[in-house]
Amino acid sequence: MKKVLSVILITVMLAALTGCGNASSQSGKKTYTFATWAAGTELQEFQQIIDKVNEEANGEYTIEVLSIPSDYYVKISTKIAAKKSPDFFWLTQELISKYADMGALADITAQFEASSVLKPDMFYEGVLASAQYNGSYWGLPWIANPMMVYYNKTMFTDMGIPCPEATDDWTWAEFIDVCRQFSGKEYRGNTVYGTVIDGWPNIETFIWAGGGDIIGEDGTTIVLDSEEAKNGLGYLQTIVAEGLSPRYAEVSSLGDNNVWFEKQRVAMYFGGMQDNFEIKVAAMSEDEQFEIGYAPLPVCDGGGQWSFDWTASTVMAKSLEGDETAYKALEAVTQAFFEWKIAPPVKDSVENVVNINPTKENALETIAYTMEYARSAYYIPEWSDINDKLWYNLYVQLLSDSNFDYKAEMDTIAAYARELINQRK
Amino acid sequence: MRKTTTSAIWFRRFKTVMWYVVTIFGAVIMLLPFVWMVSTSFKVENEIFSMPIRWFPKKVTIANYTRALEVVPIFKCMLNTLIIAVPKILGEVFVSALVAFGFARFHFKGRNFLFMIMLATMMLPYEVTMIPTFMVWSGLGFSDSYVPLILPAFCGSASFIFFLRMYFETVPRDYEEAAWIDGAKNLKVFRMIFVPLAKPALITISLWSFMGTWNDLLGQLIYIDSQPKYTIQLALASFSSMTGETLWGPLMAASFMALIPVIALLLYAQKYFMEGVKMGGVKG
Amino acid sequence: MKKREKAGFFFILPWLIGLIVFTAFPMIAAVYISMTDWDIVGNAAFIGINNYKMLFSSEEFIRSLWVTVRYAVIAVPLIIATSLTMAVLVSKNRKGSGVFRVIYYMPAIVSGVAVAIVFKWILDPSYGLLNGVLSFFGIQGPDWLYDPDWVLPSYLIMAVWGAGGSLLTYLAALKDIPEDLYGAAMIDGANVFQRVKYITVPLMTPIIFYNLVLGIIGAFRKFTDAYVLGGAGKEGNFYMVYLYEEAFGHYRMGYATALAWVLFVIILLLTFIVNWTKKYWVYSE
Repeated sequence: MKKVLSVILITVMLAALTGCGNASSQSGKKTYTFATWAAGTELQEFQQIIDKVNEEANGEYTIEVLSIPSDYYVKISTKIAAKKSPDFFWLTQELISKYADMGALADITAQFEASSVLKPDMFYEGVLASAQYNGSYWGLPWIANPMMVYYNKTMFTDMGIPCPEATDDWTWAEFIDVCRQFSGKEYRGNTVYGTVIDGWPNIETFIWAGGGDIIGEDGTTIVLDSEEAKNGLGYLQTIVAEGLSPRYAEVSSLGDNNVWFEKQRVAMYFGGMQDNFEIKVAAMSEDEQFEIGYAPLPVCDGGGQWSFDWTASTVMAKSLEGDETAYKALEAVTQAFFEWKIAPPVKDSVENVVNINPTKENALETIAYTMEYARSAYYIPEWSDINDKLWYNLYVQLLSDSNFDYKAEMDTIAAYARELINQRK
Repeated sequence: MRKTTTSAIWFRRFKTVMWYVVTIFGAVIMLLPFVWMVSTSFKVENEIFSMPIRWFPKKVTIANYTRALEVVPIFKCMLNTLIIAVPKILGEVFVSALVAFGFARFHFKGRNFLFMIMLATMMLPYEVTMIPTFMVWSGLGFSDSYVPLILPAFCGSASFIFFLRMYFETVPRDYEEAAWIDGAKNLKVFRMIFVPLAKPALITISLWSFMGTWNDLLGQLIYIDSQPKYTIQLALASFSSMTGETLWGPLMAASFMALIPVIALLLYAQKYFMEGVKMGGVKG
Repeated sequence: MKKREKAGFFFILPWLIGLIVFTAFPMIAAVYISMTDWDIVGNAAFIGINNYKMLFSSEEFIRSLWVTVRYAVIAVPLIIATSLTMAVLVSKNRKGSGVFRVIYYMPAIVSGVAVAIVFKWILDPSYGLLNGVLSFFGIQGPDWLYDPDWVLPSYLIMAVWGAGGSLLTYLAALKDIPEDLYGAAMIDGANVFQRVKYITVPLMTPIIFYNLVLGIIGAFRKFTDAYVLGGAGKEGNFYMVYLYEEAFGHYRMGYATALAWVLFVIILLLTFIVNWTKKYWVYSE
């Protein structure tokens, strides 16, 4: 009896297993699932966008929402492993090369280049590069989030320090000089600092500041140990050594780094589009309010100007490669997203920023200026390993101890990264 | 004689006072995160992270509660969680008790080996069996469904079985011997003697089972795909914006609301932890 | 006796079915996965025992195991002692003890996020509660989670705070200790400590045994707060944090599964040892 039972059960299990092997022929169907990390209120907005797109599709296709409010990539990869990949999903720029490399994504190059709706030259170059890997396009960017400098105009004025301009071409040396004029001074009963650095801004920003980079554009050269990259981290070293930012162990005492700016404890903050200081300040009591100014990131050594940009793209499941209807749906949704979040990754739409988020009106000039050169780093499938080393062995070490021999560590990590690339199959 | 009585009374009073001092001190420490959560839920945004921490909001607001209910339908999500939790408790508690009884009171071939296997199933991290398990359920056609979350409960839970076995083993043999002599059937002995005796333990594991469902995020996240089916933990996960900012005020308001049923249940159940069949007579 | 043997088997049958239907396949699959190079998303390539070889030569493996073992050795007995003390304390039938039982159990039910945030503040080097109290006594407190040497003590403090999680198990057992045993002991002139040592502890040993085994499993599988809070110098990189990062941060599921099996064997061996000592100290009727 027991044996019979176990046999039956094992058969069921095996049936289940083989069943999941052939459930993947998805092309041709007209219902697509779209996985999103939007949650709460944003999920409601997302659903409205999808509803509208579905309506305009007139029955040609229907998109269904798959919401993943937490552990997004755990669920995405689990679904793909079980051959139940969502048809569309969002992917952050760091993972495009990884997922493309693992064979999870549809190559959309041919359709993208032939399209008359969304063409490659409509996007900002630096932004679009984040969806490229190995000469192909793997997704359509739908949001750009470049970094700029928010500053406390009231504090600058009260302390008699000249403000940077909205499109100021200041250098990193000048930026640090401004920091020096604030750090350690008393303002409204508190000791203030020039800026706050606690792992944000990311290490890329500092490495670029010296005119260097981590990985070359070709995706195989490692340039982390170049003189320029080391000079760039030198700026970070100066900021830490001179106490121009609150101590690393101290930053989290206010909950998060941006709170230092909101509470007027730092004069300048490296922020993105999502930092809604304007709304927060407006909600404060009158004596706590201050005026916010905007400036681009300082120019890097050697004259290049870059601002780190975070972009997410919408990608298609591998099984949909070449599917025309699916691509049409992808384009329709992407276009709808351009009206939703700032900043849209396409040129000639900067005015839209104010329509979408009116509180950013004063920042418009800086945003428009920054978008022209904002870009992401060159990410390769090995990035997660390299990034781990950059964070634990380099950035945190330098933040905790300004005497840390960061140059030697950069050499070590560069050698490690080269080794990883040599191991490629 | 009289003097000793007075000092004995004083000593007893002193002990009572000491007990309150120590217990209240401990309780205050235990309550810190909870108090922070509740006080944050009544704060306006720019008051949340102030240093040193502010235990009572300067300006009390209920805006976080209304906002929380806008973000996600919390009561609906609680109801969804109950839909999973109730059958799960029934299955898990009843079956675990049966199995524990089997392990505790019968000597059969391979008992210790099987018991060790059972303990072993608790030792492999869920993170690495999660994907194969998901493959099976999705292969069987269950997607966006509660079934994979409920059904396994009807085979018992290893840690509950382990706990109940330890509990059953402390039950004196003489209790059941009488029943065996009376010729009672196994199930009857289980029902008439072990279930009543184990009432506090059964209530304890019911609570655990309930809280296990109420607090499970990863399991529910993997199997539930659409917002109308969200459970309370998925609802609580919905308070971060796409760019990673957390709505602390509304999140704490929602967390507090989610905690109320659990606390109510605990307060209700706690008297059973200590109550039970008086066993005083046995030893005498 | 034969009949009773069969009956016992009948009682455990539901669990046995569950083992075969729900547990066996994923575990067998995990054995296979641990011998592959699998990035979750793509195909798995069989590489034999290479993952295990790689693992034993990995610095990170040794480090995270050391972090975890060190924690477990101190935390497991510490938690048992603390929760047992708490249980004895709140099992007294005094006014309000019911409420105290619930409060002491609260750490187990408040969400991990709220707990992590508050501990971030309690352990904050500059404004934290703990260093505030220490400075009251003229002691300059350490940087806690930001100082590699103080990461372990930080996690031990959190563990003691959360010890009430196993309170219910002790309460359920404590109530079973016959009142007249204490009464008899008091007449014999036993003091509080003797009563605890000779009556409470022996009768609690089955439950202590249970908590010891689950405590070992729990300590080795410590994850949530360590994942949220981290710790300087990777001292907060517990074994499960390392495993999770390998699996879902670096997409090396084969390697992560091998890590899981090594953890499995370690816990299993410890359980065998504890189980073997059972006959020397666990009271049974």
